[in-house]
Amino acid sequence: MKYAFFVGCTTLARLWPYESSTRKVAEHLDIELMDMPGSSCCGTTYLEALDHITGLAIAARNICIAEEMGTDIVTICNGCTEVLTKANRELKHDEELKAKVNEILAETGKEYKGTVEVKHFVRMLKEDYGIEKLSEKITKPLNGFTVGAHYGCHILKPSDVMGFDDPEAPTALDELIDATGAKSVYYPNKLECCTGPIMGIREAVTWSVGLEKVNIVKEYAEAMITCCPFCYLTYERCQLMQETPPGVPIIHIPQLLGLAMGLNYDELGLGNNGIDPSIVKQYIDSTQTIGDGSQ
Amino acid sequence: MTEQKEIKITSENTSFRKELMQRKGAERIMYCYQCGICSADCPVAKRVKEFRPRRIARLAVLGQKDRLLNSDTLWLCAGCYTCYERCPEKVRVSEIISALRGAAVEEGIIHPTYKTLMNSIAEKGYIYEIDEFENEMRGDEGLPEAPSPAQDEIDEILKKTGFIERVGGAHR
Repeated sequence: MKYAFFVGCTTLARLWPYESSTRKVAEHLDIELMDMPGSSCCGTTYLEALDHITGLAIAARNICIAEEMGTDIVTICNGCTEVLTKANRELKHDEELKAKVNEILAETGKEYKGTVEVKHFVRMLKEDYGIEKLSEKITKPLNGFTVGAHYGCHILKPSDVMGFDDPEAPTALDELIDATGAKSVYYPNKLECCTGPIMGIREAVTWSVGLEKVNIVKEYAEAMITCCPFCYLTYERCQLMQETPPGVPIIHIPQLLGLAMGLNYDELGLGNNGIDPSIVKQYIDSTQTIGDGSQ
Repeated sequence: MTEQKEIKITSENTSFRKELMQRKGAERIMYCYQCGICSADCPVAKRVKEFRPRRIARLAVLGQKDRLLNSDTLWLCAGCYTCYERCPEKVRVSEIISALRGAAVEEGIIHPTYKTLMNSIAEKGYIYEIDEFENEMRGDEGLPEAPSPAQDEIDEILKKTGFIERVGGAHR
């Protein structure tokens, strides 16, 4: 299996453990994630509303790179996933729009053809790789570890565009978690947005939304699992800003998967997570040596 | 937008409504019967009393251009699509807000945070600085250098659409 790997600004610039754990898990599963030379920001979820055609052209230029590589795209940011999926869908279904965008792209020497798909890493594992096959790779199950899954919004919604899972009762992320032996527990308000997108507009709202969820998760589980860099940063930062942080570790889904596949704690970047997630160590099979670089 | 004001509908209002309904996402505003599920389920409305998606839908029906475009509330939607998914009439306030933002930009109105973001894409190809420092840190983590965005191609796109100039961005 081969994909063009669209990392996205936030992860590229700030969340190296998310990117490196994704790459390591993919490698362990024999999934090749190829870099996309010349790729840029997806355009952000805001741009499309501010100027539809500019948003489409910026997104399409990135999709063209994958088309030239001849592979589908894998993303790890919910925002990028929505932006690229939406643009791809609109352009595949609207010839007039496609012609307009290609006229703009002509100046760059690129042409959007509509030959690839865009999938979030979670979606790719669920639909292309398969949960069953993934389960076979779990050698160090994290039995007993309880976590709260946070999907975020744009991996699921708008559902008529994304066409993935159930926006009101999704299961894909929970299934991945359960495959690791950890338990994805129910908690109230599980599907509420992190409001990360208005962090730069009304910061206090984002921190309050973040803290509220983190404190709920704390009652039900030992950690929170995210699949988007914006959500991750919201739930981590809102805690770090407190004098006495609630101390709920936020863990990227590939980090959890990696641990259960026997990859090393430090190698998965867990030592660099902002809220110490070392509580998970007690669930790692005791036959594994921790922290010495072995797998 | 919190205080009650008497609204008199003028021909300007009706023409703004018509114009708005031509925009992508605002086509169905006339189907809104003010059930309020958009406000009830909105994570921002829960915490910000002046942000009421239902009110935005109503003001859109009434063509209240100034109150909609010149209000900070226009930029408070986090785009979570909860109202989009749950609207019984597929009016979808999140999409009305997107259409209104598009209309605002055409009038030269844009939130400074968005302006900064858009200029960053125009200048760097990313919304953050991803330079030597970041690449050095990435190297330490065993990661390859971040892709270098083909800035000349992004320039061409933005020149052609004129977007950055419209939002008052830097000329390259």
